[in-house]
Amino acid sequence: MKLGDWLDERTGYRAISRKFVEATVPGGARFAYAWGAALGIVLLLEAVTGVLLMTVYSPSATTAWASVAYLQQKVPGGWIVRGLHQFGAQAAIVLAVIHVGYAIARGAYRKPRELTYWLSLAMVGLVVVTALTGNPLRWDQRGFWGLRVETGIIGTVPVVGGVLQQLLLGGGTPGHMTLSRLYTLHTVVLPFLLGAIAAKHLWLSRKHGPALATPADAVKSDRYFPTQAARDVIVAVAVLGVIGALTWMRHGAPLDAPADPTSDYPARPEWYFLALYEMRKPFPGKLELIATVVIPGLVAGYLVLLPLLDKKADRGVMKRLPLLAPVGLFGVAAGVLTFASMRTDAADAEFGKAVAKAEAQGTKALALAQEGVPPEGALAMLRNHPETRRVALFEQHCASCHRMGDLGPPKDKDTAPDLTGFGTKAWAKRVMEEPDHDAMFGKTAFKGEMPSMTKPPADPEAAKAFTAMAPADLDAIADFLAVQAQGKKGEGLPGEKLVSQRCTSCHRFDGKTDDEDSLAPELRGWASVPWILAQIDDPGSGATYPKGAMDPKLEGHMPAFKDKLSEKDRALLAKFVQEQAGK
Amino acid sequence: MQNDLGGEPPRAERPEEPSRVDGSRRGALKVLVALGGAAYAGAIVVPAVTMLAPSSEGGAGAARWMRVCRLAELTEGEPRRVVVVGDERDAYTVTKDQLLGSIWVTKKGESVTALSAVCPHLGCSIDLNGDKKSFSCPCHTSKFSLAGAAEAGPSPRGMDPLVVRVVDGHVEVDFKLFRQGIAERKEVG
Repeated sequence: MKLGDWLDERTGYRAISRKFVEATVPGGARFAYAWGAALGIVLLLEAVTGVLLMTVYSPSATTAWASVAYLQQKVPGGWIVRGLHQFGAQAAIVLAVIHVGYAIARGAYRKPRELTYWLSLAMVGLVVVTALTGNPLRWDQRGFWGLRVETGIIGTVPVVGGVLQQLLLGGGTPGHMTLSRLYTLHTVVLPFLLGAIAAKHLWLSRKHGPALATPADAVKSDRYFPTQAARDVIVAVAVLGVIGALTWMRHGAPLDAPADPTSDYPARPEWYFLALYEMRKPFPGKLELIATVVIPGLVAGYLVLLPLLDKKADRGVMKRLPLLAPVGLFGVAAGVLTFASMRTDAADAEFGKAVAKAEAQGTKALALAQEGVPPEGALAMLRNHPETRRVALFEQHCASCHRMGDLGPPKDKDTAPDLTGFGTKAWAKRVMEEPDHDAMFGKTAFKGEMPSMTKPPADPEAAKAFTAMAPADLDAIADFLAVQAQGKKGEGLPGEKLVSQRCTSCHRFDGKTDDEDSLAPELRGWASVPWILAQIDDPGSGATYPKGAMDPKLEGHMPAFKDKLSEKDRALLAKFVQEQAGK
Repeated sequence: MQNDLGGEPPRAERPEEPSRVDGSRRGALKVLVALGGAAYAGAIVVPAVTMLAPSSEGGAGAARWMRVCRLAELTEGEPRRVVVVGDERDAYTVTKDQLLGSIWVTKKGESVTALSAVCPHLGCSIDLNGDKKSFSCPCHTSKFSLAGAAEAGPSPRGMDPLVVRVVDGHVEVDFKLFRQGIAERKEVG
């Protein structure tokens, strides 16, 4: 007995495959029938790539982003699988809409195919919901903010909204539980539902066969295999080509910076929801439910009721035009709204800037992830990395008074010296030339304390006695100070002698000064990292400024950060200020 | 089919109308099947609902005073965005010193007011407009006055106020999150 016979006796597989091979396509094979098959094949692709993704993915708020970044960067071929899965999902949405659209145009929803049609509508919904539950799983900014807005919309639905929202989030705010729930929905509940409905839909469409275009078609007939099967495969492979090309071009699927609930992210929905997004704009306040619930509900309701409304004997498109017109209108409206939304954003410079900022953040996060993500999660990695953290520290603790490059308060709102270029020759020179300029000490309690070396004082009596410092001397002092800022001693430089001769009447130099009551700061090591650090730690310690000059308790003076910030953070800031000067 | 080498014996013909069970016994068996089914369904559904129902553990009622900035850092009448740093509890993990959210604080004379930066509409992050005379949300263009009142756009209520106090020159805020998208102000955990 051959193996085939043995197996057939127990499974009856030959009859099944014969049924498949010998199945007929009444009316003849058509490319137009291939969209459904292509959708089926793409859904299989989703299942297979989905299972592969599950072998790497880890659903928790601390691990999700890191595991996706790992998949994208380190797992061999991981980016291909991820790209196929993500773009496959979008292809599935497109194919589902084409498939149902064709069925509507052909009148394939009419008796006896109502159930087949309704199941296909349910599938479109499920495909979209599956995509929506999949997007936030990567827990990046885009996925996270999309989820916030989507669950927010769900929360506004009368009666059930609140409970549904909390069920999805697994609590009040998005977190670990949200991911576990979305993961369960996305990988188990929805695929099973989709699979069961797809099986029933396929079985029913086999039972009834295609809705024939003309009565003349009734005499034609093709074998499914290979005539229709070839057409199915051609379309499916073309779709695979598009999915593959997108995967290649985007190197997998996009991954933004890790989800950060405290950031300001320019949230926009995925392209297939832009129409809905645009539609709510004309409905302010309480009327918004019209856009988010009522209109989509009416459209869906019309599509569902279509088989019951369409009772005419004739199936010709022209005869059904009044019924089809609303469907066409939905399609056109969706297209126009999507286009309008894209155009609005493309023309919005502010939005473009925010997007560029978000993209830069994403690139940085991925670069950091190359070195591994700490157990506290990707967000902690991003926030605690010196590059990011020092900017955040400056913004939080320094930028309300000091400006430095792009950071700091807007012009005229700063109350402390501008730290842009602090420690450079240019800065040192400027403070000697115009110490009371608003960017120097003009807005501090030290205004008027230091005379300009080049401009005569305002008092006419004093102006008579004034002689401007020789440019060569000014240069030499500035050179010496800039060397100090680099952390070098600069001993023996011409400027050193000049400082000890010309500046110590007020300034301290190696702790010594001619005037013990003067408020001027120490110039040895000026603007070097230890000098800046001492200033940050406690301006009143006497290390940088004389004890009485910079007491943090004095009104309008710099606070001490010794007890406010960790040693690491203070060191980070000091180095940051010094480094930025060199740029 | 060749059965002489110990194959499967021929099966009995399918019985006619099942008659092994009389009427009353049939009814009892129906009840038995229903009860057994209900037992199984209940054993699954009751714990499932209990498990999936959202909990508000660690949410409402807990004191969450957080120090956010120094009073001296604020400019009179001008809202400033500050971040709220604290321990973040998310289901089974607690992470120290996390950014829990950001808020807008404004100094008015001796008093300080605070508004959540979370848009009450759908939870985007509210920005101060360039002229510093109003707030707006970049996502759905809700506009708010400096006092947080909703002025335009889809937001169903004004920005959510937070309770503030000043301790030793530091601004402290009772940090809370609220449900989005509804006119009512309901706290979430």
